[in-house]
Amino acid sequence: MEGKLADITRLFQKFKAAYDKNDTETSDNILSQLKVKLTELPSLPPLFKSSPSSIQELLLARDILEHAVVLSVKMEDQDAFERHFLQLKSYYTDTRGVIPPSGQEYPILGLNLLRLLVQNRIAEFHTELELLPPAAHDHSCIKHAVELEQSFMEGAYNRVLSARQAVPHETYVYFMDLLAKTVRDEIAGCSEKAYDSLSLVEAKKILMFASDQELLAYVLDDHPDWEIRGTRVYFQRAKKLAPCKEIPSLQLINQTLGYARELERIV
Amino acid sequence: MAVVASASGLLAMLQEQHPTLKLHALRNLNVLVDNFWPEISTNISAIESLYEDETFHERQMAALVASKVFYYLGELNDSLTYALGAGSLFDVTEDTEYVQTLVAKCVNEYISLSVKLAESNDSETTEMDPRLVAIVERMLDKCMQEGKFQQAVGISLECRRLDKLEEAINRSENAASMLSYCLRLSQTFVSRREFRHEVLRLLVKGYQNFPQPDYLSICQCLMFLDEPGKVADILDKLLKGDKNEALLAYQVAFDLFENEYQKFLLNVRDLLPEPSSAASTTGILATNGRLNQGSRNENGISALTDAGPTAMDSDLTEPLLARHDEEVATDAAAAAASPAAQAESRTPYAERLAKLKGILSGETPISLTLQFLYSHNRSDLLILKTIKQSVEMRNSVCHSATIYSNALMHAGTTVDTFLRENLDWLKRATNWAKFSATAGLGVIHRGHHQQGRSLMAPYLPQNGGTGGGSPYSEGGALYALGLIHANHGEGIKQFLLESLRNTSNEVIQHGACLGLGLAALGTADEEIYEDVKNVLYTDSAVAGEAAGIAMGLLMVGTASEKAAEMLAYAHDTQHEKIIRGLALGIALVVYGREEEADTLIEQMTRDQDPILRYGGMYALAMAYRGTANNSAIRRLLHFAVSDVSDDVRRTAVLALGFVLCSEPEQTPRIVSLLSESYNAHVRYGAAMAVGISCAGSGSSEAISLLEPLTSDAVDFVRQGALIAMAMVLLQTTEAREPRVASFRRLLEKIINDKHEETMSKMGAILAQGILDAGGRNVAIMLQSRTGHDRVTAVVGMAVFSQFWYWYPLIYFISLSFAPTAFIGLNEELRMPKFDFISDTKPSLFGYPPSVVPPAATSAVKLPTAVLSTSNRAKVRGAKKESENKSGKAPVQEGGATASSTNAEGSGDGDKESTSTMKDKNAMDIEGGVEKKAVVEPSSEVLSNPARVVPAQEKYIKFKEDSRYAPLKLKRAPSGFVMLRDMTPSEPVELVSTDTPVSAGGASAAAAATAAAAPMAVDDNEPPPPEPFEYVP
Repeated sequence: MEGKLADITRLFQKFKAAYDKNDTETSDNILSQLKVKLTELPSLPPLFKSSPSSIQELLLARDILEHAVVLSVKMEDQDAFERHFLQLKSYYTDTRGVIPPSGQEYPILGLNLLRLLVQNRIAEFHTELELLPPAAHDHSCIKHAVELEQSFMEGAYNRVLSARQAVPHETYVYFMDLLAKTVRDEIAGCSEKAYDSLSLVEAKKILMFASDQELLAYVLDDHPDWEIRGTRVYFQRAKKLAPCKEIPSLQLINQTLGYARELERIV
Repeated sequence: MAVVASASGLLAMLQEQHPTLKLHALRNLNVLVDNFWPEISTNISAIESLYEDETFHERQMAALVASKVFYYLGELNDSLTYALGAGSLFDVTEDTEYVQTLVAKCVNEYISLSVKLAESNDSETTEMDPRLVAIVERMLDKCMQEGKFQQAVGISLECRRLDKLEEAINRSENAASMLSYCLRLSQTFVSRREFRHEVLRLLVKGYQNFPQPDYLSICQCLMFLDEPGKVADILDKLLKGDKNEALLAYQVAFDLFENEYQKFLLNVRDLLPEPSSAASTTGILATNGRLNQGSRNENGISALTDAGPTAMDSDLTEPLLARHDEEVATDAAAAAASPAAQAESRTPYAERLAKLKGILSGETPISLTLQFLYSHNRSDLLILKTIKQSVEMRNSVCHSATIYSNALMHAGTTVDTFLRENLDWLKRATNWAKFSATAGLGVIHRGHHQQGRSLMAPYLPQNGGTGGGSPYSEGGALYALGLIHANHGEGIKQFLLESLRNTSNEVIQHGACLGLGLAALGTADEEIYEDVKNVLYTDSAVAGEAAGIAMGLLMVGTASEKAAEMLAYAHDTQHEKIIRGLALGIALVVYGREEEADTLIEQMTRDQDPILRYGGMYALAMAYRGTANNSAIRRLLHFAVSDVSDDVRRTAVLALGFVLCSEPEQTPRIVSLLSESYNAHVRYGAAMAVGISCAGSGSSEAISLLEPLTSDAVDFVRQGALIAMAMVLLQTTEAREPRVASFRRLLEKIINDKHEETMSKMGAILAQGILDAGGRNVAIMLQSRTGHDRVTAVVGMAVFSQFWYWYPLIYFISLSFAPTAFIGLNEELRMPKFDFISDTKPSLFGYPPSVVPPAATSAVKLPTAVLSTSNRAKVRGAKKESENKSGKAPVQEGGATASSTNAEGSGDGDKESTSTMKDKNAMDIEGGVEKKAVVEPSSEVLSNPARVVPAQEKYIKFKEDSRYAPLKLKRAPSGFVMLRDMTPSEPVELVSTDTPVSAGGASAAAAATAAAAPMAVDDNEPPPPEPFEYVP
């Protein structure tokens, strides 16, 4: 057991070295080895077998996963982020009384909130938020995410976009970029409902694009149903009215006849 | 220490690339799934895709997790699929709800598959999932390892795995009880006939493996399998053994007899070797018979000459009087012959063989039963008297209902006092009423084989064809002969056949056909069949109906080609009566054939003619009698609600009673909705169904269902409900079911009510008869103690239910009466004196108290002024009346003595003692009843032979120090029980007084009571109980 722990610690050092060098490829490789090794430690969730070295093991595993989360942000891999985060979360929630809290906890939780915001999973966002202790709300990372959400909900999109400048942690930048995209999608959705068409200029302004190219690329990539004719963007809303439903007369007749027959058979 | 709060981490791990991680996640999920299945269920697709991933090594683990999740989601089918995929990881021995549920599901699945496999034709067999089989087999092995053999037997029976069944039986420590358990199961739960037979064969094999084979059970099985040869071999072997084995052989024979499978019994008997000294026995029997015959003829003549002037000139009443002398005479003859038989020395084997044959042919048990019913007759004549008085003379329906009621009350007791006392009244029966009045004698004398024919002789058609008698009484007499010899008609068949051939009168033909059908029940006798068929082809409505029924009776349960022939004729003829008779006949032919009959049933139920559809319902009832077969019930319910003809609907509901007669507790539940139907016919059917299936059970639900129907708005529904209620309450005492008393009061009220409609009045009168049937010593038993259906009883009940169309068929219900008796026999097949204990309050199973004559009525009246003259006139009138009466009595007596003084002399002493004994007994019991009011003893001592009602059986105990002990302790203590003599050296004391005088005594006692009864009634006060000493 001791040997294993030492083994993992050694590997982790190697990983950290690569991680610090921003060598994502190597660190990812080492990480997957690390994760496999972690499964061999019995003190980790969900087993929580107590052993003399369990605290060390937990701390180490948490450290590894925290790094893994940050690494996945660096690699801009949302899925990996989610995976790692969910695994890590158990260390924050279930082992609160066993190991001392980590300094990275709130930044990472904040990151996760941000991710949920980006993915427009507002319900889960709030669930996560409710699970946090009240004290946590004062932490800048959490506060940031909460404020963003409020602006987002209010429709103060400009505030959202401007918040990029005031990130509490360098890892947040990635998500802030993504958030801009989410905001844009929201706006696009609203515009579609609100207007039949918009001039390119206005569209650019509303969607907060710096250049026409960006706008065109966006339309091409995300809304192929939009049409640009001349200087205007036409939102080809599916204006087809739902066809008036035909009265299923035959079915009704059959049913009524059936009832009549059944009535006859009532004992 | 910490616990996990969420499985999300592990679920996330499933998405990892590395298989080790996935496996790790799966393993942990498997542990956590019981708590976190809601979380996991959202990711179930990930787990499923892991299972489907061929490259993944631990697919089985994924399957297991998925299976558990689906289990928690309630998707048992998916869960089972994945559990099967989990292979060995799915551990059947695990003691969790999940595993238990899934194993149960698995077994169910396997059962339904294997049943489908067994029942579908081989062409389209579905492949059985070997994994499923593996699980079931693992499960069975586990059951056996844990000693739960009953479960193993049950499962393997349901799965139709005979190999496993055999294994389970062989591996259990107590194979005997396992086998009997299995036997019971196979009778109640195995609905498919062929498979049941396979099981039975296996059981026979199992039983034979014992060092001491259980011959009782083996022979039961063999009877189900219809293998008389083997039974005969076993019996023969037993007879050659020691005393106990011989006793066992007798017991086997009695048990077989109780199942009333006449054809089988006869086959067994014929297959037994002829005794070497057979000549002498048969010789004696022959001379005996001849003697009987001789005396009969003689007496017949003397009866004609002597009785002529004394009796009124009605052909009905006359023979009744004339009969005394005959009986006495024949008895004397028999008595003379019997010592000769006794004196004859025979080898023990031959003797035993003769006895055994006596049992198998029914002679011994029937005569013992007759003796029992006669000696224990406790029918209450006052009830009949009340009925008679309150029924209007002119109302012929009620009049004949009273006659039916009398016949049922005295069924098998040979007591015809009531008829004898009321000859004048009886004379009112004309035409068909006369037919049934005569036939009623057959019910009263049921089982009176030796003298049956002489009893009926005065009514029978004389050889010249013009006996002067009315065809109705002649036909009735033939029917009566059939009833007397029902199911044991070897001796009478020929006579009935000749009578049938010699007549062209349709009424006589009617009676002869019914009689033949009854006497030759289920024998499939070709000769008789042809003759009956000829009657049918005369296309006379009256005779044809009986012929149709008779053909069915002859062919009961043979499923022969004849059914098609009958169906064809039913289509040809114009007469509804004939069609109905044939329809019932066809139904009887397919008796007990279950699936085999389906084609025919289908054909009938799809017919255009409602009467044939109606027959189809009966066919369903007969083919699936007592099986509680689901498909049959479904079909019947379907017809009950969807057919256009009321008759068919009624019958469909009624038929449910037959199908469910093995599970009476089910019936009220199933028909409860139907009993609230708007259609009166359906309500009637529901009532009868409950009556048929719950007969004698006293079931509280049945009574609750019937009670509202007894006050239905429609008269015939009331009729059915009253009859059904009487059937349910048969032999139920007030102590067990307080509603008996209120029911009796209701019957009385209905009978006395002038404004009651005839239909319900008739129902009430019949109900009275059924309620007090057979001197209160019989119960309606459609199934024997071993759970086998009693053919005669079911057939009788089916034909009885036809009384809707034809009242004389009411008598068929007597076929379903079985004596509720404990008759202990020693190796001589005689009843030794022997006491045993009924460990319960006597009132719980006692006879109903006799009716108190209404004495108080006059007391309430205000005293009216009475003139002395009128007073005197009254006195004069009374005197005259009494003179008349006393004058009549000597005439009777005189007639009797004149014809056979010598016989009288020899029999006298016996008779005297019998009647006094009897009186004393009655007093004792009555006294006991009164005493009970003070303190009721918690047990009572019964002496052989005794009345033991079915519900009482479990309280019967045998004394430890008794001289006799039953041969088989496990067997229910009722019916015929062979007793082992513990001290054979001591002289045997027999319950002898009744033995030799069965018939003579009957008439004598009847005469005695006949003389005594009116006196008592005149006094308006029952005799006070004699002083007695209370012995706990």
